[in-house]
Amino acid sequence: MGTQEAFTKMSEAVENGDTEALLSAIENVIDSEDPLTIIQKGMMPGLKHIGELFGKGEIFLPEMLMAAEAFQDGMNLIEPKLNAAGKKVEKTATVVFGTVLTDIHEIGKNIVITLMKTHGFEVYDLGANVSPTTFVKRAEATGADIIAMSSLMTTTMTYQKDVIDYLKEKGLRDKYIVLVGGGPVNAEWAEQIGADGTSDSAVGAVQIAERLIANKRGGK
Amino acid sequence: MVNFIDVLDRAATGPMMMQKEFDVKVFIPALRKVLKKYDIKWDKKDVVNTDDTLADRVFEAAVEFYAECGTYITDTERIIKFTKSEILEAVEDAPKETYFGEGPDRCVMRGRLPDSDELAYCHVGSGTNTTEEIALRLVEAYARISKAKTISIPIINTLGHIRTAAGAPTEIFAGIRAMQYGREGCRRAGRPGLGIIDHVSSCASGVSSIAASAPQFGARTSDGWLVAPFAELKTDYSSLNQTAYLTAWGANIGQEAGPLLGGYAGGADGLAVVNTAYSLHGILVIRATYHLIYPIHMTYVCSSVPEVLWATSLSTQAIARNMRVPYYTLLYAAAGAATKMYFYEALACLLMLIASGSGIEDVHPGKAKITNGCTPVDMDFTCQLGHACKGLTRKEANKLIDKIIPKYIDQIPNPPHGETLTECYDLDYFKPKPHFEKLYTEFVNEVKNEFGLELIKY
Repeated sequence: MGTQEAFTKMSEAVENGDTEALLSAIENVIDSEDPLTIIQKGMMPGLKHIGELFGKGEIFLPEMLMAAEAFQDGMNLIEPKLNAAGKKVEKTATVVFGTVLTDIHEIGKNIVITLMKTHGFEVYDLGANVSPTTFVKRAEATGADIIAMSSLMTTTMTYQKDVIDYLKEKGLRDKYIVLVGGGPVNAEWAEQIGADGTSDSAVGAVQIAERLIANKRGGK
Repeated sequence: MVNFIDVLDRAATGPMMMQKEFDVKVFIPALRKVLKKYDIKWDKKDVVNTDDTLADRVFEAAVEFYAECGTYITDTERIIKFTKSEILEAVEDAPKETYFGEGPDRCVMRGRLPDSDELAYCHVGSGTNTTEEIALRLVEAYARISKAKTISIPIINTLGHIRTAAGAPTEIFAGIRAMQYGREGCRRAGRPGLGIIDHVSSCASGVSSIAASAPQFGARTSDGWLVAPFAELKTDYSSLNQTAYLTAWGANIGQEAGPLLGGYAGGADGLAVVNTAYSLHGILVIRATYHLIYPIHMTYVCSSVPEVLWATSLSTQAIARNMRVPYYTLLYAAAGAATKMYFYEALACLLMLIASGSGIEDVHPGKAKITNGCTPVDMDFTCQLGHACKGLTRKEANKLIDKIIPKYIDQIPNPPHGETLTECYDLDYFKPKPHFEKLYTEFVNEVKNEFGLELIKY
């Protein structure tokens, strides 16, 4: 199998969520090609395409999840080579993402996380029922750019405000972009609690994250 | 039917796995398998399904899917599983009618077939965010709608200047207040026995819900309690605690679920099967005596788009034809209250439900995200339409809906925000403000002239 053919197969395998085919294609070139090139030219195009199809509503969460799972399996195979070469995959930004305290609904968070990954974000999934101090502690520990919070219940939304209040209390509010979302969350609430953005949809959330990161890096 | 104690035993002893493994390795493959095996696809022609054999295949698919998948318990990280024969026995044994309310307000909710001549069950109200100062008046306004058989009461999430928080004592107080406002609002409307069937929407946690349900605060076993899962087909001990309490008390339990089109269920085909599977989960795990479904589109956060309408129509028919359990549906409009677009969306949603065999609830405006965002006019409209469309067939509904959808579909991505209750409705006089009355009158006339449906104006 030639290098280009292997890259094409990798991309297709990621799109199809076919781990076996992906690992087989990677193994064909892993000793001859630069690991970063394998990721960028072989695996990323498939993942990016999946993200685009999701954005257009042509595929749904199951397809995207399977693709992300396959991509991660591929990364697990390549990472030792990547580390040995002292290289890192360029990322859009780092995000800590969780569902707020007392709320254990995760689907909205999981959809946005999966889509963020297809757009090059490094996302730390904090899970559900995450306390305000944990959000901030994990953001500090991971060097995050964005703190993202999900809440499905009107009675749990209030904990989104607590995270922002805690950031202010610690003098850290301006260090992070804070995004909020979830069933009852709207722009009015986001503004009221001092969040930087919200969106009804996963696609919208990723677009806002990209825009706010670009603004921050551009000094706007 | 498998006893509830045995269900709890399975929650503690069933197969153990991580939640993500359940999503990716159990739920998704099991769903894909049955979609293929039973050839479930949307032909994108009709919004209201007219193929009975397809509805029956969806039911068979849901039984097989649920037998393979089961319900995941997040606390124990285990799956409660049932065999196909246990599921079918539960379908046979499940309550086929549920009684709500007391005295002259007592009523029954029953399963109803598609194309049926029976009146659709009319339920109104909104378990959505409402500020405390208008909650009591709002419940009174709901209860004044004479065609409504039962009501939902609002969520209160403030105690004066304090915002309530899930799991905190404030949530218990809010739940108790909501319960008291609910009962008092019905009394003031002259319907003290009216059943309230969304207890306790102000409470997210099981402990608060149980505390607020104590009879001294006004709850009755002839009311109804909604017990929700997590997406998809997951529950926890907090929810099962509610079921344990309500079962021991002999109260009505409602299985509620809002599966996402675009989420783990995938597209419209998967949504139809998952909607149906929730009723199986409901009778077996939640011990439901009635059922509520509220599917929404993941991107547009509403239910009025054709793919959600079709999936809901199909699952409603699958359940109606094969289970005949008491069943109603809540759908969400993208447009806010007091807009023409809202009424077009609501009309399409309700016609689909009436013809498919579901009970109806007022379609919630503004994706149910707006505090004080629902109005009694929406609710009266729902009941009027339910009565005007008694006997509506699926074919007739399709003809009407084909004309209605073009009136709003292009605005779905950017719908009008609409107005809040106090902007468009007078709670002292229990009537819409003049500008809203004018808009609604125009709409009622349009419905009469264009579709031949005669509604009595609010």
